[in-house]
Amino acid sequence: MPSIDSKDIHKIIVACDAGMGSSVMLATQLRKQLKSHHVQVEHTPVNSIPADADVVLCHAGLAARARAGAPDKVLISFQVFIGDPAVTRLINTIKNGGTVDA
Amino acid sequence: MSTDYTPTVTGTGVKAKIQRFGGYLAGMIMPNIGAFIAWGLITALFIPTGWVPNESLAALVGPMITTLLPVLIGYTGGRMVHGQRGAVVGAVATMGVVVGAENPMFLGAMIMGPLAAFLLKLVDGFTSERTKAGFEMLVDNFTAGIVGGAMALVGVWGVGPVVSAVTTAAGNAVGWLVESNLLPLASILIEPAKVLFLNNAINHGVLTPLGANEVTQFGKSILFMLESNPGPGLGLLLAYLFFGPRLLRPSAPAAIIIHFLGGIHEIYFPYVLMKPRLILAVIAGGATGILVFIMTGAGLVSAASPGSIFAYLAVTPKGGWFGVLAGIFAATAVSFAVASVLLGFGRGGEEGEQESVVESESAPVVKEA
Repeated sequence: MPSIDSKDIHKIIVACDAGMGSSVMLATQLRKQLKSHHVQVEHTPVNSIPADADVVLCHAGLAARARAGAPDKVLISFQVFIGDPAVTRLINTIKNGGTVDA
Repeated sequence: MSTDYTPTVTGTGVKAKIQRFGGYLAGMIMPNIGAFIAWGLITALFIPTGWVPNESLAALVGPMITTLLPVLIGYTGGRMVHGQRGAVVGAVATMGVVVGAENPMFLGAMIMGPLAAFLLKLVDGFTSERTKAGFEMLVDNFTAGIVGGAMALVGVWGVGPVVSAVTTAAGNAVGWLVESNLLPLASILIEPAKVLFLNNAINHGVLTPLGANEVTQFGKSILFMLESNPGPGLGLLLAYLFFGPRLLRPSAPAAIIIHFLGGIHEIYFPYVLMKPRLILAVIAGGATGILVFIMTGAGLVSAASPGSIFAYLAVTPKGGWFGVLAGIFAATAVSFAVASVLLGFGRGGEEGEQESVVESESAPVVKEA
């Protein structure tokens, strides 16, 4: 399982099916919460996760596709779009330091 | 980070493959939804039965649906396969099916765009190693021109008529389903597929092209409303708000706003995946909605995307609001009622709290469906 230190996270990709709906919403939320940190948050379709992504976030229902498209990335899957523990944990780790693993 | 709450990803290969193929089809349509809406608004306003009939502006309607939209789809499909060059030959090749067929060639565009781009990709792979320095631009421009032109001819002679026949057959099949009142059964397929994140694939990969075809004949189509009706999801979320596990109730109001007003249906999928039996509620709601749409003769002039109540009202034809709103309301009510029963009207709240965490598996939906 790939893992990454919170200091090395520069780009978070939020992926959904079309990269136009739910991913945009979650990316906006993350951007607000990580405003004071130098982390870029972008949204893309799950089929085209860019190579320079450090951490990929997507819903568990799409995780198999994200895994296929970006096998070596730290992939965090979540269940709900508002207040998912996995997403909260990622934000806390970035804020307080630590290691993020897939 | 695999916990009870977020289990390790085990996704079945077949599901991911279907999602990927469907996502590919939807990926050709979705970036162009803005153009669909522009066309839908112009149609709703300026055609003879519209809000402000205007003959000279209504002249936009035909060329936009038969030429602009298919070419945009072919362009986008080509770009997905082979970047900007693929996009250009995709658009050129799509003109072949546009000219070669009578009805709007969305399906043809979804075939020709990527196909022409793929051919150019093969040709580029062949020529790039053999082209002498300084001749790259000459070769690149002419390979694209020749591939695009040739594929346009193929479109006119071969693909256009074939796809035209297929589209007509599909349209007739849908018409038959509507007439024999079987269309509500579509919800049995649509709703489970939707929460498995095939929502865009179904709506934009299949229903939007068929619906746009119907609009050119009848001025509106029910097909835009089969997947995108926000009623079933709203009913489900309302049931969660009142009777869901206490842990999840606080998140329901925000989810309702995002779902019903913002039109991002993905927000409610997790609430079904957590308690897979609730799929019955959205199926019942969806089927009821479709039944009411049929009975009231409701239809939309263009794709309601995202599936928000605002998008619905914007693409409802003049005088069609009653049927559209009735269908959404009926779907909401039925989905809410069934979901409330399945949630036991909130009885045993303590038990429910634990359930919500333990039951968070995403796989079993299919079995219940």
